[in-house]
Amino acid sequence: MAEGEWKIGVLFSKTGVTAGAETSELNAAILAIEEINAAGGVLGRNLNAIHYDPGCSPPKYQEYAIRLLKEDRVRIVFGCYMSSERKVVLPQIEAFRGLLFYPTFYEGFEYSSRCFYGGAAANQNAVALAKYLIEKFGSRFLLVGSNYVFPREYNRVISELVELSKGEVVDEIYVPVESTAEDFEKIIKSIKVHAPDVIVSTVVGTGSQQLFESFHAAGLNPRDTPIASLTMTEAEVSNVRPEIVAGHLTSASFFENLDLPEARRFVAAFKQRFGASAPITSSAEAVYCQVHLFAKALALAGDDDPELIAKHLRGMEFDAPQGRIRIDPDNHHTELWSRIARINEAGQFDIVWQSENRIRPDVYFVTSSCESRHTPEAQSNYGM
Amino acid sequence: MPVSRELLQSLKGLRIQVLHPPDAEGKVLIEHLNRIGCTCEATWPLPEEINPAASVVIIAIEPSHREQILKLFRPVEPLDPALLAVISFEDPSTVQIVLECGALGVIERPIRPFGLLTNLMITRSIWLERQNASKRIRKLERRVRSSKQILRAKEILMQTREMTEDAAYECIRQQAMAKRISMDELADAIIAAHTLLTNNP
Repeated sequence: MAEGEWKIGVLFSKTGVTAGAETSELNAAILAIEEINAAGGVLGRNLNAIHYDPGCSPPKYQEYAIRLLKEDRVRIVFGCYMSSERKVVLPQIEAFRGLLFYPTFYEGFEYSSRCFYGGAAANQNAVALAKYLIEKFGSRFLLVGSNYVFPREYNRVISELVELSKGEVVDEIYVPVESTAEDFEKIIKSIKVHAPDVIVSTVVGTGSQQLFESFHAAGLNPRDTPIASLTMTEAEVSNVRPEIVAGHLTSASFFENLDLPEARRFVAAFKQRFGASAPITSSAEAVYCQVHLFAKALALAGDDDPELIAKHLRGMEFDAPQGRIRIDPDNHHTELWSRIARINEAGQFDIVWQSENRIRPDVYFVTSSCESRHTPEAQSNYGM
Repeated sequence: MPVSRELLQSLKGLRIQVLHPPDAEGKVLIEHLNRIGCTCEATWPLPEEINPAASVVIIAIEPSHREQILKLFRPVEPLDPALLAVISFEDPSTVQIVLECGALGVIERPIRPFGLLTNLMITRSIWLERQNASKRIRKLERRVRSSKQILRAKEILMQTREMTEDAAYECIRQQAMAKRISMDELADAIIAAHTLLTNNP
């Protein structure tokens, strides 16, 4: 490595189907790196990020991961949005004995000693979301998603939770990741036929925007059938007119208008750096936390040896914008807060529920054990 | 409920006896089994016998321990726990031990977390299928034996009492009911009595 700086790799896409969400993640990485460098770097040396844009393509992710590890001699990589991207990057990280920081919420059922997972596993949002939706809207669910591993696994968990509550999944529909407007006709038709109480969507990227636009254009109303989506975040909402998304719901650990001191400071710094209209997603907040956690571990380790860094990260806590978080020392995932928000007329997220405490990541989550171990004990009083 | 879901749920708290040296590989193995939610008991060196409470046994296969390993698992009994073998080599003598000890799945070294869950689920699934199959086989064997005996008893009655086949069958059924025993037990008694009387074993 060049003298006087710590080289790190960053792989988020600025182009492609999930570019909105990934650009927000990239911005958060840049913000954290600039903050650390402005404060004198780590042990007197600046962080220097090498970024490639893989264009949301898994083969490109793999190619750039190899380039970072082999040619740029980077040992630490922050990146990946879709699970299909992580699945091709992680074997390269393992082969080159590096360390991956993966910030996006995902389906769980994975552990690598060379990966730290900063986003929510299914138990950290699905349990509370399913419970909330059943209580508020009813138990006839329609599930839609993009056709890859995360939506299918997330919908499996939601289906089980609905089934345990004696509810019913009336239909489950998948659209291609690179979807077109026609793909959503089938979904709108099914909504009209089944008239479900609620729709849960894990359609990603531009497809998510198309889903809400089709729903709106078909004259459907969130007062009758709200769409609850993990993937209609600040990044996707910023690309559509507010009236198209108003009244729908989403679940995340962090929202832009979260009223906590750390959150206000983080949002102000982000907006000052990238502009008032630059969206900040929950996954972006996770990147921000992971870069800062890495810097803390690096300062303690005195070296960017991945195994040393990992040792210091296990059990580490951090005052995150979402609230204090902690890295689970056994499974490398993160104890996070869980929140549900409703999108208002201005396209802002109004928080309607949040967990009393941060929730432990149960990576190998099965629904039978969720009630006793992982449902947040008490509900807060946000109300609707 | 899908089979995979029941299997997945059954992994939580599943008792696994791990017969593996307490080295770095053993640590990776046990840590990941705990992460999945299984309850592990680590045993090393190889014990004299398997803990009867274990539902799954994972054993490190070393050709140098061949006799001890086979003593633990031969003969293969239907009620033995599901067995997974950890191997470092694929040479024929290692593979032979794997086959002889009745392992249903193989974990290769270096042990890594990825694949362990699937391996466990496949092993458990094969084991459950085998349990069901062997129960069914025992039931069918009993049925075949019983119908053979009833057939023989009917023949005796038809010959010695000049009964029709239907009458012979009805006679066996009625007497079994009156004595509150099963038809094949009564058939056994008829055959034994006939053998004794005709002195013609």
